[in-house]
Amino acid sequence: MSPSRVAAIAGRIFTQFRRDRRTLGLIFIVPVVVMSLVGYLLSDRREPLEVGFVNLDRGGTLFGPINLGMSLEGALRREGGVTLRPYPSADAAEGAVRSGAIAGALVAPADLTERTFAGETAELRLLLRGVEPIIDNAVRLAVGRTLAQLSQVLAERVAAAGGAASAPPVTVDERTLLASPDLATIDYYGPSFIGAFAFFFTFLLASVSFLRERSTGTIERLSASPATRLEVVLGYLLGFLGFALIQSLVILGYSVWVLNMRVAGSIVVALLVLAILVVGVVNLGIALSFFARTELQVVQFIPLVFLPQVLLAGLIWPVETLHPSLRVLAQVFPLTHALAALRTVMIAGGGLADIGDRLLLLGLFAAAMIVVGAAALSKQRG
Amino acid sequence: MSRTAGATGGAPVSDAVSASGLVRTFGRIRALDGLDLSVRKGEILGLLGPNGSGKSTLIRVIVGLLRPTAGAVTVLARRMPDRGTSARIGYMTQTAALYEDLTPRENLTFFGRLYGLTRREARRRAAELIERVALMERADAPVHELSGGMRQRTNLACALIHRPDLLLLDEPTAGIDPPNRRSLWEYFHDLNRGGTTLLVSTYIMDEVERCHRVAMIERGRIIAAGSPEELRRAAGAATMEEAFLAFSAPAVRGEAPAST
Repeated sequence: MSPSRVAAIAGRIFTQFRRDRRTLGLIFIVPVVVMSLVGYLLSDRREPLEVGFVNLDRGGTLFGPINLGMSLEGALRREGGVTLRPYPSADAAEGAVRSGAIAGALVAPADLTERTFAGETAELRLLLRGVEPIIDNAVRLAVGRTLAQLSQVLAERVAAAGGAASAPPVTVDERTLLASPDLATIDYYGPSFIGAFAFFFTFLLASVSFLRERSTGTIERLSASPATRLEVVLGYLLGFLGFALIQSLVILGYSVWVLNMRVAGSIVVALLVLAILVVGVVNLGIALSFFARTELQVVQFIPLVFLPQVLLAGLIWPVETLHPSLRVLAQVFPLTHALAALRTVMIAGGGLADIGDRLLLLGLFAAAMIVVGAAALSKQRG
Repeated sequence: MSRTAGATGGAPVSDAVSASGLVRTFGRIRALDGLDLSVRKGEILGLLGPNGSGKSTLIRVIVGLLRPTAGAVTVLARRMPDRGTSARIGYMTQTAALYEDLTPRENLTFFGRLYGLTRREARRRAAELIERVALMERADAPVHELSGGMRQRTNLACALIHRPDLLLLDEPTAGIDPPNRRSLWEYFHDLNRGGTTLLVSTYIMDEVERCHRVAMIERGRIIAAGSPEELRRAAGAATMEEAFLAFSAPAVRGEAPAST
């Protein structure tokens, strides 16, 4: 055992790292960026959710006119996790929840004050989307906190007025508008993971296989043949599209039949979403492979391309809960729109009409990437 | 002092390749520096030069992979790059440019279809070429299992799949043992007898003895051209190696002050 030989090997590795600026940058910069994001996401510093409120309460009289609905509204306004949006009717609020304009809505019934003072149980209605458990929970918690506070205040006032010692509880009737209320965790996360898998493997395989085409020199042969750039790009697309769709079908089949995942909407529409995503990703892979010399360098693109999307595209943490600047960033990521569309179809049972704008954005991404991929291919020719 | 192929004669009409004043730069490097060359129809022209003399760049310009920075190249009466003409050129790269996890037969069929053959034609042609380059036993084994000689024979077969009129071979025998090298040259002569024009680049001096004519390239220019015998005689040398050194010495000395 010669320490000098060991030192020579260690020294050589250091020299190689020093030469490889890109690796060096990735080793130090990427973890810092990713850790900051993860730190932010795991902290409970959430952006307030927009929650609708409909006050149908007619009010009543105790020492004077009183409207518990208005008290509730005031308490909700003071609640930190919520930005309150008043709506005139339950229908208007329901529409807004369905469209995703607001995260949820609370409806105070007409007889809220009356029943409470009569010692009867009043029932509030809570409208939730039912697509993102994290968001539904956040709304549920905020409403629960406010109601607990309010009933305490109420109990004091009723007691002071010489009424019953304890105020009757207010119950909340919860309705999920877009999905059935008894979904399991896999039902929520399944669609997102199918999208993320399709993105990840397509990106990795397309870029590595294109890089290999360059390193073995077969790209020279392709370029010297009468095949046009468009033919090469389309050939690649078709090959990887078929592959990615079969992969998605296998994951989907496994999730549905073995893991008992529920799919509310059409699988064909879900596959269409995946297909459009994959078209963009194949070309992204082709384009980025031109900036890599080795397969190691292609792998290094993953933390740059894939990790931020996994963290910010709504795979686990809903985009709506992110800081506004991160939300803007998330809108740029194709994965954000693919996952939103997949969830709409597979959890909420939406159809093509419900995901039209997402598909349009994914289509734009795909078209842009085809142009970039073909341009990268022409760099191959002199 | 330097004799270009053009100066040696031959009407341009019968030239398979004719290049004039070719310049190709890569950043500050001038890989081709005002190069003139003609390859006559039906001949085997050897392109002889050391590593880095511009052989590969020249071949890549001829096949249409690179655009010349200045000058022009005409192949089979068409100015390159030209996609229609690409289909009449066979190009064999220095390293075996093959799909490693496909078999020779699959590689051949694939390239055949890229050159516009139907699936059936490509298969028939692949079978024919596998026999021709004696790959019968290994035709259905993945390329990564093949020896260097077999790979290079597969590589050659891929360049022949569409029956090209002009075959450009970039150091086809580099790293190939003498028996395999000999059999490659037998294929080249065989093809040539069938009417194919060949341009073969090499840095191996005695290999060009097998060519009809030789163009010597150095620093991106043709420094001499002619039949092997003519070149030896003109240089007063007994071997090709001595002849090359004789032609290259003044060229190198002449260039020395110009290069920084």
